[in-house]
Amino acid sequence: MSVVFALATPPAKSAICVFRVSGDGCHSALSKVFSGDVFPPNRFSVETLRYKNKIIDRVGLVVFGAPKSYTGEDSFEIYAHGSLAVMSNIVDVFKELGFEEAPGGEFTKRAFLNDKITLVEAEAVSDLVDSTDDRGVVLSNKTLFGELSSKVVSFGEEIDSLRVGVEAEIDFSDEDNDYFDSSLMLELSSLIERFGLFVGACISKRVGDEKNNIVLVGPVNSGKSSVFNRLLGFERAIVSSLPGTTRDMIGSELFYKSNSFSIFDTAGVRETSDVVEKQGIDISMSEVKNADLVLGVFEKNIPDEIDYFKNMCDEKSFVSVLNKSDLNKKEGVFDCFVSAKTGEGFSELKSIIENRFNSGVKDDGYDFLIKERHENLFYSVLEDLEKAKANLSKKESLELVAEDLKNARSFLDEVVGKKFSDSLLGDIFSSFCIGK
Amino acid sequence: MYKFDVVVVGGGHAGVEAAHAVYRLGLSCALVTLNKKNIGQMSCNPAIGGLGKSHIVREIGAMGGIMPIATDMSGIQYRTLNTRKGDAVQALRVQCDRDLYKKAIQKTIKETDIKIFDEEVVDLIVDKNQVHGVVTSKQQLKAKKTILTTGTFLNGKMYTGNEINKGGRLGDTSAIPLSKRLYDLKLPMGRLKTGTPARIKLSSIDVSEMEIQPGEKPTPWMSLYNRPKKHQRQTPCYITRTNKKTHKIIEENIHLSAMFSGNISGIGPRYCPSIEDKVSRFRDKDSHQIFIEPEGVNKDLVYPNGISTSLPKKAQEEFIYSIKGLKNSVIEEYGYAVEYDFIDPRSLNINLENKKLKNFYQAGQINGTTGYEEAAAQGLIAGINAAAKILNQKEFVLKRSEAYIGVLVDDLTTHGITEPYRMFTSRAEHRLMLSQNNAEQRLLRKAFKRGLVSEQRYNEFIKNEQKYKNFLTETLSKKKINSFINNKNINIKLDEKKSVLDLLRRTDANKEKVFKTNPSNKHLYQRAITEHKYQGYIKKQLREIKKTEKQENKKIPNNIDYNTIAGLSNEVKEKLKKTQPTTIGSASRMEGVTPAAINLILIQIKKREAFKQNA
Repeated sequence: MSVVFALATPPAKSAICVFRVSGDGCHSALSKVFSGDVFPPNRFSVETLRYKNKIIDRVGLVVFGAPKSYTGEDSFEIYAHGSLAVMSNIVDVFKELGFEEAPGGEFTKRAFLNDKITLVEAEAVSDLVDSTDDRGVVLSNKTLFGELSSKVVSFGEEIDSLRVGVEAEIDFSDEDNDYFDSSLMLELSSLIERFGLFVGACISKRVGDEKNNIVLVGPVNSGKSSVFNRLLGFERAIVSSLPGTTRDMIGSELFYKSNSFSIFDTAGVRETSDVVEKQGIDISMSEVKNADLVLGVFEKNIPDEIDYFKNMCDEKSFVSVLNKSDLNKKEGVFDCFVSAKTGEGFSELKSIIENRFNSGVKDDGYDFLIKERHENLFYSVLEDLEKAKANLSKKESLELVAEDLKNARSFLDEVVGKKFSDSLLGDIFSSFCIGK
Repeated sequence: MYKFDVVVVGGGHAGVEAAHAVYRLGLSCALVTLNKKNIGQMSCNPAIGGLGKSHIVREIGAMGGIMPIATDMSGIQYRTLNTRKGDAVQALRVQCDRDLYKKAIQKTIKETDIKIFDEEVVDLIVDKNQVHGVVTSKQQLKAKKTILTTGTFLNGKMYTGNEINKGGRLGDTSAIPLSKRLYDLKLPMGRLKTGTPARIKLSSIDVSEMEIQPGEKPTPWMSLYNRPKKHQRQTPCYITRTNKKTHKIIEENIHLSAMFSGNISGIGPRYCPSIEDKVSRFRDKDSHQIFIEPEGVNKDLVYPNGISTSLPKKAQEEFIYSIKGLKNSVIEEYGYAVEYDFIDPRSLNINLENKKLKNFYQAGQINGTTGYEEAAAQGLIAGINAAAKILNQKEFVLKRSEAYIGVLVDDLTTHGITEPYRMFTSRAEHRLMLSQNNAEQRLLRKAFKRGLVSEQRYNEFIKNEQKYKNFLTETLSKKKINSFINNKNINIKLDEKKSVLDLLRRTDANKEKVFKTNPSNKHLYQRAITEHKYQGYIKKQLREIKKTEKQENKKIPNNIDYNTIAGLSNEVKEKLKKTQPTTIGSASRMEGVTPAAINLILIQIKKREAFKQNA
């Protein structure tokens, strides 16, 4: 099968990130990025990853030969430093090598098809391959994705309606209808402009340079780590109902609506004799000094407690959150009520955070975080729409314009769903009087 | 014990192609028809070809089929459509002399050893889901394979106003006992309808009031091989239009139309609406075009294409008289709607053999298609596949990227139909690869391997291909030039000399002016221009095809249980259960089936294989 790659660890700042690559012929690419020609399998080695004379990182490399690999194909894994810059550089290199970003569940699917995992394990695969977002994109907020896809769906429909006219002119040119006029060019240009804006807005600041630091504070066992995990969308901090579980600062990146935030979980504040935990508290106090926004997480409505934390952060932007809203009454002067357990209130919390950072910034209405795979699809759509426009303005034959539009539309299949040729014909028949 | 290798039921366009294919493959064949004088009859409009359809005709020809030659033996007006667009979507449409076409087909069949039976098939010989031939009104005809091509004759009913007549075509009876038998066999049957206009005496029409539409000059050919020595005498068509008065008459009578009375349950084609339909659905259009198509060179009859109807006779007269040039029309036959049985084509394998009834093939309108070309194509495929089974050969399947016929068969067996199915170029996602002019390049080698075309034809083809190849490598790549004329008619100087072939790849060059042709290489150069124009797109498509090829042909076992596949949505499960796609490729083309769902199916197949190995 073709060579695919994936980041096996979450796309967040961490000590190490792991890339997995699998597919026929992927080994021959090794000599293009590492020095040497021979890469014996099943041995860990430290290598310098470079591409076109640019050093990217010192990484760990393990090569697996078919069938002795997870997928049963030739494959290799790279252990690189976990900075976002390194990650995105490696992704770029892989793409230039012609590797494709693996859709969700691809590795497990291949493992199964090559008899590498058992039937029972395979059952678990079905959940994987059917989920749209299993590979750790930080926000797997369904409504967010739904919003994005409804936008894309409407672009898809616009392409479809252009295709109706063009395809009708090809298949029914001997009928006495005017399927389109000069407005086709105008509509196409307008679509390109709006779609371009949309894509641009989607990906700008996707891996932003500016750090928007958020620190979580609050009394012990108010559920800060659970809130932290909920915000990130995956398990990062250890959570237990015992007070004082979080002792070190835990930081991670949160992406939301084209913004990136560094978010830090801290130990709770209480009178403590535990020396280790005391250190944790000291760290969190100093971290508050570097914060741009402080998120106070509470489990009870005690005004004094809230004031204590509010005062602690001086003039920093402070957002007070009452957690455990599934157990508590929604009372008090909190900015927001959430339940880390059920997920209730988190969309609101995220937009409050976002508004604090973006107050005064114009909302262009297209703030979506997209996966790199989607980004590529969208670029391909744009490219083909541009091609259609060029062919149209050069007065090239219409079947080429039709082909460009068809290709553009097919990239949206994954998000929008396929358009079967028969439904396109249906649109033609309902729009025009066809038939002798 | 078997009298024939193959028995074909029906002598229409599907039937004759099926029988002739069996004959070409050296097997014995019986053709049973209700009336042998009507073998090869064009029962609707007297034309072959058109958009998406001439492609099919040429493909049939490239595999040795008989439709294109019969077309040329009877063609009385030729026109290429879409001339302002590129080669891939251009199509030839030929107006035929109805009688000459039939005669040409019957002559071709007579030259073979196909045995014709002028009898009605009343039953099938069925034993444990295996079909062993047919029972006619006179005898049993046992055969290893049976091909059913009964067109609109299964339980056919014709409607004119409130008049109902049994029959599949005016003047012919319909096959009722056979239809009953198919219902008894619990095949998934449905009803469809189509319509036809009145036929008018040419001598009663005033063509001077109409726009004349002459044929193309010089007159082209439909067939690429074995053409007749010369064309029939060519005649023009005429164009007239309905008007406000016509529409008023139709509206006043519309409640009397069979199609609006509720008598007809069958679904009609949206692209071939009756005039009642057009008037009521597109109210803002106060005029519709009518093509006056001659029925033959020496025949005093025309087919007014565009006004098919099931209005009562009186209303038909009235609205026809209101049309320019038709005021004094003498109507020979009245228009009618015909309703008939079809069998859901999803009950067929990709080789057109019934999934449930072994040795039983179906082709043509019985599978829910319309059009002579679509029918003939299926006949050909069914004939080849029936023979292939007997000869122990692999099934004969054309890919969607290889032929319109591949698209047709895959669409039918995968998606089924919601209305009478006809071909359009937009159905073919690899349209740019499938020109009516490259049918031989796509199919002839394959056909020769199966024995469908003669060695002589194959050798001539290979010789011509070599000639073209030499033209590219010798003439075009060796001729160097240092300037060219661009699309804006400006002479562009090149820094270094380039070959003509290089310039063909440039989008800005005016290709016609790059190379001076002579009569002997003009067609070669035109082909080179076309191939280079599409090259980039086709390369891209080929890459896509290659990517999914392995998966594409993976068979889905017919007893797969979609209910047990976790993760499939109920909607997708229902669709898959209903359709029972035979390959992963066809499943992936079903609407609503996502790549993720395909993965789940692949996994299920794999699981079953593993289970079998362990058992």
